[in-house]
Amino acid sequence: MYNYTTFDKDFVATRAAQFRDQVQRRINGSLTEDEFRPLRLMNGLYMLLHAYMLRVAIPYGTLNGTQMRALADVADRWDKGYAHFSTRQNIQFHWPKLQDVPDILESLAKVDMHAIQTSGSCIRSVTSDHFAGAAADEYEDPRPTAEFVRQWSTDHPEFAFLPRKFKIAVTGSARDRAVIKLHDIGLTLVRNAAGAPGYEVSVGGGLGRTPMIGKVIRDFLPRADLLPYLEAILQVYNQIGRRDNKYKARIKITVHEHGIEEIRNRVEESFSLQRMRFDGVDQDIFARIEADFAEPIYKQASIEGYEIARQSDPLFRSFTDTNLHPHKNADYTIVTVSLKAHGATPGDASSAQMRVLADIAERWSHDELRVSHEQNIILPHVHKGDLPAVHAALRSAGLATANIGLISDLIACPGMDYCDLATARSINIAQGIATRFDELKLEHDIGHLKLKISGCINACGHHHVGHIGILGLEKSGVESYQITLGGDGTETASIGKIIGPGFSTDEIIPAIERLIMAYLDLRLDASETFLTVFRRLGPQPFKTALYTNEVKNHAA
Amino acid sequence: MPLENPILSISERVTELNSRYRNQKTEDVLRDILKDPLFGPVALVSSFGAEAVVLLHMISVIDPATPVIFIDTEMLFPQTLAYQKDLAEKFGLTDVRRITPSREAVFQRDTDNLLHLADRDSCCALRKTEPLERALIGFDAWIGGRKRFQGGVRVAIEMFENEADTRIKINPLAHWSREDVADYITVNTLPRHPLVAKGYLSIGCAPCTTPVSAGEDYRAGRWRGEEKTECGIHLASHVPNSGEPEVNTAVIVNDEGFAPDDWDRGYSVFEDMDDLSETQKSALAIDLPNTFDATDLLPWIDQIDLIRVEFPVFSDGRGFSLAQRLRLLGYHGRLRAKGHVLADQYAMVRRSGFDEVEISHELANRQPQSQWSARAAWQTHNYQQKFYQST
Ligand code: SF4
Ligand code: SF4
Repeated sequence: MYNYTTFDKDFVATRAAQFRDQVQRRINGSLTEDEFRPLRLMNGLYMLLHAYMLRVAIPYGTLNGTQMRALADVADRWDKGYAHFSTRQNIQFHWPKLQDVPDILESLAKVDMHAIQTSGSCIRSVTSDHFAGAAADEYEDPRPTAEFVRQWSTDHPEFAFLPRKFKIAVTGSARDRAVIKLHDIGLTLVRNAAGAPGYEVSVGGGLGRTPMIGKVIRDFLPRADLLPYLEAILQVYNQIGRRDNKYKARIKITVHEHGIEEIRNRVEESFSLQRMRFDGVDQDIFARIEADFAEPIYKQASIEGYEIARQSDPLFRSFTDTNLHPHKNADYTIVTVSLKAHGATPGDASSAQMRVLADIAERWSHDELRVSHEQNIILPHVHKGDLPAVHAALRSAGLATANIGLISDLIACPGMDYCDLATARSINIAQGIATRFDELKLEHDIGHLKLKISGCINACGHHHVGHIGILGLEKSGVESYQITLGGDGTETASIGKIIGPGFSTDEIIPAIERLIMAYLDLRLDASETFLTVFRRLGPQPFKTALYTNEVKNHAA
Repeated sequence: MPLENPILSISERVTELNSRYRNQKTEDVLRDILKDPLFGPVALVSSFGAEAVVLLHMISVIDPATPVIFIDTEMLFPQTLAYQKDLAEKFGLTDVRRITPSREAVFQRDTDNLLHLADRDSCCALRKTEPLERALIGFDAWIGGRKRFQGGVRVAIEMFENEADTRIKINPLAHWSREDVADYITVNTLPRHPLVAKGYLSIGCAPCTTPVSAGEDYRAGRWRGEEKTECGIHLASHVPNSGEPEVNTAVIVNDEGFAPDDWDRGYSVFEDMDDLSETQKSALAIDLPNTFDATDLLPWIDQIDLIRVEFPVFSDGRGFSLAQRLRLLGYHGRLRAKGHVLADQYAMVRRSGFDEVEISHELANRQPQSQWSARAAWQTHNYQQKFYQST
């Protein structure tokens, strides 16, 4: 893991002190409400109608046991004893008192954490593959790049007041788990013919009201050119991104309106200037960062206990069937801890659970934890011989739900329960679906399925990239849920298609059930996933399943 | 959650606050209000009259540095002035602002101090409403001591009120009864206004206040024998922000702090560049909008002494990129950011290539030199600089 330097520590401490001062200056009138707003957003403080929300950064989703425990302390001391892990690899506290926020930030700074650039029209906290540095399918570790970008983007003087927010994601695996193509900038680690390190850079992806897949702007960018090239993209966006309409202000619209060719030309022109500022010292810093991400010292021990437990304990077997991912060290595995117990609020964890996770990480995962954008917690380096003990510890904390990648491992945005912008509830639908398929005992049979729910067209639940997406809308005062099918956020990215009229709150769960039953009928065998069947057969059979037997009273 | 809701209007805020704070202890409400950045600056307006001691005491416990606005109409009882001094001292209030009517206006409109006999509304406007309105400039909310039991139009007041869409008026004691007030004063053994013992239940200006006899209405002693029951402070009438002369001279901010503008040779605009006279070219300054394409300036880039980039609003960051590009294209002259730039942005301004900032007097008053100086060490804590060049 990256070790904070004195420079980093001073930076976050100073920043917390500056925010304390800004709060005071707001109270004494030096700052107006309009002026204070972007300043607090840049420090993670978001205002909802009934409460504030503090979004703390977990850069590229990586944290250690001490940090997880500090977050649990914040939840206990200043919040209601739990926290919410977001779809942005961040953590959100929903009820802090505004006047306490400077104290919270100060306590986080002590464990090298902060809330910088988790909101507001600036470069947001960078995200990456939650299995980075561990997955067997990874060819290069994206974390040094993610950390490099984090540092460069922190308090960048030129880009703190952009037209809108700006999100950067990095991956180094053939299996894209970071939704690269749906970010303002997506970086994929690649090597050129000569074996030199670099990036494929895509630009202009995004979800929200107008979902768009990012376009490749450079297929090979040498690593030494990364920062000036990012500066060039940001500079072009800062100058020509629209500021007259917030719904058209993201770079995806800029790219769409000007065309990728023109954007590329402008970026190259700007790049030729920006490049002059860098004399290569940034690459020395990169090398230092990279050294921090050396592989852990793997332990040599027997993995016999793992096989024995699989034979004797059906719960353990089911857990290890679904919640593991191959590690680059064959004796090790990556454990995903589900925050989606059937019927619970997706992404919520109690402070007690957070402390258990911290303990487990310290004891059995080389003191590392990850937060995934699918709102689960990852133990990236678990020796297989320790798995029975890890499983037992998780079970006693109610954290051993064996549903990763299954229908109940769904993503749902906060929806009407927490978000002012919502047009419908989403958490109740999530809970209803999880509970229903648990009753049917079909989850494992259905297999790999991504279901995603958003409470309004802003699409924080990423419904556009769900194999099944659900979008909650409001139609003449009642909630109506629209289904999209065929979305995909991975290396084979596609945007889901709207399948037909929406369903009411009462109808939506039976509708999903009909959809799944149709899939089970249509698939060639158990290895053919929902998405593959959809791509093979198209929407028609699913449409039939959804609408023919159910002409009665769906919401028009 | 991608977008934050727009900032609430005052009336929406008031509705929300009234429901949020219903049934909460007055001290807790006050504590929240004074510490909540979303309220912004809040002042207590106090008459230092018969019951004022309650709120004065409460805020002195929470934060004795809270601004207290005391309107001295210059028609008050000498006892009120003495009581004001006593209380301020006893409670350790550090920011009592005694506000008096404008000299000039009194001279023009009430030379003999007899206006109250002829036209009390005008007198109150001159001595109370207008001075208060001036004193409240810069405050987003103010606290007053009105209570429902005082009768008249006050029976319907809410804890939070929308004052003509300009600010929030807070009546923390709205729901207090007369007994609550008496109890609070007794329990905390607070000093009373000297005239209370003489039968004055509500105390304002000397010419317009008389004692109240047993059984009479509570505020019967104010403007006795007239229909008038409120002095105008509490009526939603508003004087526009007049009186403050427009100050046009700009303030320059640099690493040393505030300085006067030393450039007095005017500015050209880009469109005129082709036909500038030789004298103009000898000391050339140009104003650029933040949408300007820096490469257009290339032919002149060595001849310009000062470039001033407009910041129409602090949240429009285009000026930072323009500065950056001008520097990279080889502009070495003086570079100034002009307009709505916050002290909080000073380090950003400097790091993107500007030398200085030009702000209005209004902004300089609101964000005085010390706030800019706090950000003057712009080279420290700078991630980007570490990446650019080896030292
Ligand atoms: S998708 Fe809509 S409802 Fe859900 S969190 Fe985002 S803005 Fe709120
Ligand atoms: S109360 Fe009487 S003396 Fe005081 S300002 Fe009003 S009219 Fe004038």
